[in-house]
Amino acid sequence: MPRFLKEFFNRNGTGMGLAILGLVIFWTIGLIILPQLSMLDFSFRPNLPPPEIGGPKDVYTLENYKYLIYGPEGGSQDYNAVDLRVFFRTLVAAVCVTIFNLILCYPIAYYLGQSKGSHIRIFAIMLIIPYWINEILRAFALRIIFGETGVLNTLFVGLGVFDTPFDFIRNDIALYAGLGYAYILLMIFPMYNVIESLDGNQIEAARDLGAPWWRIHWRVVIPYAKPGISSGCTMVFMLSAGALAAPQILGGPSSLWFTQLIYQQFNDNNDWPQGAAYAIVLLVTCILFVLAVMRLFKVNMGDIGK
Amino acid sequence: MNLSFLRVSIWVYLAIFFLYLLGPLVIMSVTAFNSSAFPRMTPWECLTFQWFGELFQDQRILNGIKNSLIIGAGTVVLSVAMGLAGALMLTQIWPKLRATYYTIIIAPILIPGVVLGISTLVFWDRINRMLGLGADSVLSNGIFLTVIGQSTFIASYCMLVLVARLQRYDVALTEAALDLGATHAQAFRKILLPFMRPAIASAAVLAFLASFENYNTTTFTFGEYPTLTIELAQKVRYGITPSISALAFIIVALTVFFALLNEAKLKRQELVAAARKNATVEELAGKIKLPSFFAGNVAAMLVVIFAAATITVVGTATAYSPDQCIANVKEQKQLEADQRIQELRKQREERRKQREADEAEQGETQSAPKPSNNSGFGNVFAPNALSGDEDESNAEPQPSTNGGFGGAFDPNSLKTDE
Repeated sequence: MPRFLKEFFNRNGTGMGLAILGLVIFWTIGLIILPQLSMLDFSFRPNLPPPEIGGPKDVYTLENYKYLIYGPEGGSQDYNAVDLRVFFRTLVAAVCVTIFNLILCYPIAYYLGQSKGSHIRIFAIMLIIPYWINEILRAFALRIIFGETGVLNTLFVGLGVFDTPFDFIRNDIALYAGLGYAYILLMIFPMYNVIESLDGNQIEAARDLGAPWWRIHWRVVIPYAKPGISSGCTMVFMLSAGALAAPQILGGPSSLWFTQLIYQQFNDNNDWPQGAAYAIVLLVTCILFVLAVMRLFKVNMGDIGK
Repeated sequence: MNLSFLRVSIWVYLAIFFLYLLGPLVIMSVTAFNSSAFPRMTPWECLTFQWFGELFQDQRILNGIKNSLIIGAGTVVLSVAMGLAGALMLTQIWPKLRATYYTIIIAPILIPGVVLGISTLVFWDRINRMLGLGADSVLSNGIFLTVIGQSTFIASYCMLVLVARLQRYDVALTEAALDLGATHAQAFRKILLPFMRPAIASAAVLAFLASFENYNTTTFTFGEYPTLTIELAQKVRYGITPSISALAFIIVALTVFFALLNEAKLKRQELVAAARKNATVEELAGKIKLPSFFAGNVAAMLVVIFAAATITVVGTATAYSPDQCIANVKEQKQLEADQRIQELRKQREERRKQREADEAEQGETQSAPKPSNNSGFGNVFAPNALSGDEDESNAEPQPSTNGGFGGAFDPNSLKTDE
């Protein structure tokens, strides 16, 4: 038995030690690592009816990944234009949502983090309450607002801004607003945590030395808040790229989200390996993208989640 | 740039921000009380409570709530246990493994829920097949899969909450208990657990809420046990009704109520602590006069106002009947529709008269054998040209007047030998 294991059991006792170790192993290996590996393995296999699984036809193949790039074999097009376009649109839109959220939330996080007083607690409650409401219901609320006879259209037509109701849903405005709305809290909290610990004297010193307000933010607050900003951006990007509820409810009929393609492969086409391959592509691309951006902005992985 | 301008713009920004954040919830809640069959705020028709009645009779929603509660309970137990074990392990693990271990247990927060759902489904399906169990075994049961899938990432949230408190724990306490002859299990139960209780409570609440509102993972794993969120999503995707608003209103109201209650409790603790600190020695020796629950506690007052408002609303709901108003609105709509029909009829009548007058005029001036319309483009642009209801009024055999230039090129006008 390795020394640290012996120490571990000495410190916790055999029974407790076994319980802790068992739970941790079940969680890390049984729930996190093995299912992901299993999905990876599954994505390289052909879609077979259950009796043939494990049979001679059950061999590794790149078919599912080729499908994403080239489309069905013998198809009319060289590339699977529909799925690829959905994939890149999802990534670009997720980046846009992240940037929008960052710009929207930074002033709030700064204000909450740097001002004192009992009203801050009220603001915190007001921030958390929407987050406790069901994701579906939040999307539903936005659909009421952005619908053809919704509040916004009634307002704008009433004011004479538009002559006819504007179709927010078909133009994806509802979708972006919904995605931004869903993850506001995840952007604010990491930034707030960091900015709260920033010594107000630093800001005052910068002000005394004659820095204008935007330079204070650029040179003092933002460099200090970088870990919080990167945590928030990572979470919002990953979650909005992987969102399913908001696109299903708020997305226009013609615009798909990549997760909806995965959902269709699983539930409508019943092609699990294909769906697993798409899921792997989404996961790997998102992780690589996040790592690349973090390297670009010189942020350490260890800062995330603090 | 002066300071007051900055301050005003900050407040304006805050107002817009919270309008974006809370406005949709308010509007959604309000639509629950409008009698319009489509959830909308304008035009306001009648105040009604019928959507709440409809909600409570919806068997699928009730069944979904039941499944959600079962799955939520399972997820809370499993993820708090795994989160606590994970947090304990994090404080003791071999330093070289620590970073890797931390990355692994924090990763499920960042993995998209869709991916977690799929991997859970695929993995347990495979285990099920390897064990040679049928399609109806425990391992392919919707409740089991959903609890497992949700716990994968909810345990990470719990771990973060628990580890924050665990870092303030003094290990010497456990050692003292062990020196005094306690077993490890006793030391855990009597020393560590009581210390961790507040964090465990918040982790459990967090886990339950996360489980209750989860959609992305559950949508792949629920099998034959749709949760409330799944039922809601299906309803919202295939036609929305105000009974969903009614459910949303209940959830919003409960959330606000519990948030205020929690805030009131915290505030009271603070006030009590402050009173203790400021109390004189005599006061401490004698009876310390604690501030009453409501003194200086805005949140507590809000809780009471909120409860009173709820009771009033429920009271009105049982006594109030919107039938009269709904009948009125219906009548109003009927009247409007009637009026519109009347207007249309009138227009048509006028047009017909006009035409008859024209025809009569033509009949007098032109001695053409068959009267025809000589207006610039004939009747093609007359709104009624295509509707067949004129047939009765124009029953007399009349040549078609669909020629581009009215009757001028009408072949009939030249046929005199007929």
